[in-house]
Amino acid sequence: MGDKKNRNILSSMHIQHAQDRENDRTDTGSFPIVRQRPKKMGGGLVSRLMTSLLIVLLCALLGFGYAIQLNNKTSTYETMSEEELTRLISETSTQVQNLQQRKTELTGQLNSLKAAANKQQEAQRIAKENEDTSGILSGRLPAVGKGVIITISQGSKERIDAATMFQLLEELRNAGVEVMALNHVRVVTSTYITETRKSLECDGQILKPPYRVKAIGDPQNLQNAVNIAGGVGSRFKVKFGAKVTVTPSESVDISETRDAEQYQYAKTVE
Amino acid sequence: MAAVLGLIIGVIIGIFVKPDIPIVLQPYLPIMVVAALDALLGAARAYFERSFSDKVFVISFISNVLTATLLVLLGNQLGVGSQLQTAVIVVLGIRIFSNVSAIRRFIFKG
Repeated sequence: MGDKKNRNILSSMHIQHAQDRENDRTDTGSFPIVRQRPKKMGGGLVSRLMTSLLIVLLCALLGFGYAIQLNNKTSTYETMSEEELTRLISETSTQVQNLQQRKTELTGQLNSLKAAANKQQEAQRIAKENEDTSGILSGRLPAVGKGVIITISQGSKERIDAATMFQLLEELRNAGVEVMALNHVRVVTSTYITETRKSLECDGQILKPPYRVKAIGDPQNLQNAVNIAGGVGSRFKVKFGAKVTVTPSESVDISETRDAEQYQYAKTVE
Repeated sequence: MAAVLGLIIGVIIGIFVKPDIPIVLQPYLPIMVVAALDALLGAARAYFERSFSDKVFVISFISNVLTATLLVLLGNQLGVGSQLQTAVIVVLGIRIFSNVSAIRRFIFKG
């Protein structure tokens, strides 16, 4: 009885031990197992040399392939599939279209900018021209050109009056004078001539005889305007007994200027 | 030792010679290189496990390269070339990683 019990216990312990061994196994299959070194292959020095040469050759092939693949940057398109290539083409053409559109936009911009620049240049040129003409017209700028110089000496019969002097200026103006100066006063649109008790006054400046009119314009016309029979020249001579000389000149230099008017009420229309 | 020597020689030749790859071979060369790399790493692992065999290495190298190339060729003929290429690369990559981790364990364990 006792013997049987002992044997039972012994066998169950054996089973238990086997199970424990099974459970405590660390070899899970996912870790490498160090096997025994395989038995040396037969064969002499020559075959070992051959195999290492073969290994060298294979590894050299590997390295060679790697190196030339590194250098091969030219075409990766051969390895692409048809869909990839189609996608690439459509992407590229979309990009091309976009770039084309952008180019058109930029070209338009460039053209408009160029046109604007031209316009601005033109406007600047016109403004400069206007400035010159209006500067001469308003007496802000000195002027030079061919014309006449008229000298009128003091009247021997009576004093030369303002009306006749004004008539002279008007006659010259009718004859197409462009710039005039009376003694040292630049004659502009607003110029007036009055008489004081002793002499003439022009734009607030006293004029002393002999009077000297510098006029730029066609010399022949201006000369005719003064010397015409029954004209203002003969009036000076006959009525006032003054001596009038008209000398045409190729270069009448009118350096008299006046400051620009400051208008209080008049404004340019924008 | 022979393997490292061969690698160095091959890379140097490749850098200096710079040959043009024939167009037929162009899609397969990268796969071949990766397959060969896998074979090399497997050999390295076997070396650390002390079960390295010249014959096995040579055969595995050639068969790896051939199998990979043929697989990609087949894929190209069936019209799934790029997918199969990806598959081969993935599998080889996994193998390379497991080989490397095994080698690492051998190096750092002892």
